[in-house]
Order: sequence, then structure tokens, then C-alpha cells
Amino acid sequence: MSDDELDQRIREAVLGEPIDVAPLEHSIRQRISRPRRLRWAPAAAASVALALAAGLSYRSFFHPPAPPICIAAAEDHEREIVNGESRPWLSDLASINLLAEKQGVPASAIADLGTMGYRLERARLCFLKRQIFLHLVYTKDGNEYSVYLRRPGGETSFGKSARGTENLAYFETARLTAVFVSHAPGADALAFARAGATLL
Amino acid sequence: MPHLAALLRVARRLTVEPASAEDLIQETMLLAWRGFRQFQPGTNARAWLFRILFNVFHGLGRKARLDSLPSQASVRPMFQEAVEIAEALGALPLEQRTALLLCVVEGFTCREAAGILDVPVGTVMSRLSRAREELRASLKPLAKEAYR
Repeated sequence: MSDDELDQRIREAVLGEPIDVAPLEHSIRQRISRPRRLRWAPAAAASVALALAAGLSYRSFFHPPAPPICIAAAEDHEREIVNGESRPWLSDLASINLLAEKQGVPASAIADLGTMGYRLERARLCFLKRQIFLHLVYTKDGNEYSVYLRRPGGETSFGKSARGTENLAYFETARLTAVFVSHAPGADALAFARAGATLL
Repeated sequence: MPHLAALLRVARRLTVEPASAEDLIQETMLLAWRGFRQFQPGTNARAWLFRILFNVFHGLGRKARLDSLPSQASVRPMFQEAVEIAEALGALPLEQRTALLLCVVEGFTCREAAGILDVPVGTVMSRLSRAREELRASLKPLAKEAYR
């Protein structure tokens, strides 16, 4: 059997398989329409961000359950970091700083988080509950940490929680909302959040 | 939606069950939609979509991958020969099966397939050659039967 004969038989067998893509196409169109609506949602409200409150008390982190924004952050972390879904990321610091400034997040905040031994790897913008956040990914001791920053628009809150194996810590002041997500031990994630709270 | 059938046809031979293949395609098309500004007009849109498909596929956990022969329900062949070819395809190592599907079934050149899979052209050619050898061996009894 020559290559051509073999190829022909394979093509006939595979291409002869009946495929109905109509239901799949319908599902895809439905999914595509969702983020388009989100794009026009109150994106303006989610302008910029920075800096944080010093002196968050340890006690303030203990208020489960996690608010919806933290659940959304954990889900985003799982999709983009744990599952490694293909996304466009910025990795050079100058571009990341520019992106941050456009969102109202001072570049100094990004640099401050890096002064504690956490290495900034990449960044992109993402939607969490219809609000634009700057998603920063840091690494330390083999663990990856997602930090989501934006200028706050809602009520002030502080807390710590968990979703599955992901540990969450968050805080919001008059100047900044920050959500930390990691598979690192809860104490490590909390330590990063608390350190960030004192610096930002 | 162009190329959907071709993408689904290949995805069904990468994943364990039809539902996983459809999830894979949904993710692929969603990423293509969101990242459409990265597509360069004038280049091969079909190859671009397949490249996204394989990126998504490799990003999935092994649970979604085809670790055993595909069930007949998942490939839905029409004829006995198609059943046997589907089984022989399913028995190929993933890399060989992928090269064969892209080059032989979907009509990509080895260079295009290399771009999709992000491997050297020579790698695609050798995988294709080995895939043909293995298929030829496993289909030999059927070929004798057919020409008797």
C-alpha cells in the first residue's frame, strides 16, 4: 500500500465521520456574547488604583466567607495560572508600569511588592465581577501569587478566606482594593497580603 | 463559523469523549475571539485556529487527553473500515496521530503543521513517516481482506 493509497483511506475514514457543529456553534456564540456585554459594563467605575493602608490588624483578616470579588479572583487565578490558559501577558517592567499607571495603580506599588523577595513575572488586565483589575503574578520560593489591584469603588472591607485549595486574602482602603490568591500555604499568602498592606 | 468542523474532527481524536472535545473547541474559539487582534490579516486563519487549539489542549490536564483507544461512540464511524482505521489511529502515539491528522486529513503542509505544533519541520516529517509505517502495519490484515 503506497503512501497515497494509505492517505486516501485515512482521509475517507475520518472525513466520512458525520459532524454536526450547529449545537457547538450555538454554545460558542452564547459564550462570546457574554464578555462583550461585560466590556461595556461599568468599566469606567473601575479606574485606577493604589496603595494601601498601614496597620491592618491581624484580626481583620478573619471574616469568612469570601466576598464575590475574591471568589472571582480565585476562579481567574485557577484559569490563568493553575490551568495555564493561553492569555496575552506583559512581562517587561516598563510596559507593566505603563499599564498600571493607565489604571491608576502607581508603579511604585508594583515595585514595593517586589521589595519583599517576591519577583514580578507578568501582568495583564482582567475583569472580576465587571470591574477591571490589574492582575500581577509574583513568584517566591516556587509558589505563584496572583495579586489583583484596582481603585476601590465599593465599601471598605478586609478579610481572608479559602476556596478549595486556594488561599485568599484581600483588603480595601480608600485608595486601593487588593486581592491575593495562591496555592501557597494559607500563612504564606496571608503574610504576603499583610506585608503588602503595610507597604501599599 | 468557518473551520469549526475541522477543529472538532481533530479535537475528537485528541480527547477522551465528545464532551471534552466540544469543551476544547469552545475554549479555542473563545480565545480566538478575544485574541483576534493578534491575528495578522493575510496569514493562514485555519492554521492560526489550529495553533490555538493545540495550545489549549496542551494546557489541559491529562484527564482530558486521549489515554486509551477512542470509543466507537466518540468517533462515530460509518463503515467497518472506518472503525478499524479509527482504532488504528487511536492506537498511535499522540504526536504521530497529531501529525497525521494535520498533514493527511486536514491538508496542512509539514511546514504549516510544524508552525501549529511549534516543532521543527523535520520532527513533523519523521512523526508522519512513523505514523504511516505503524498504520500500514496495523491495517495490513484489512488490506489483504479488501483485495481478496
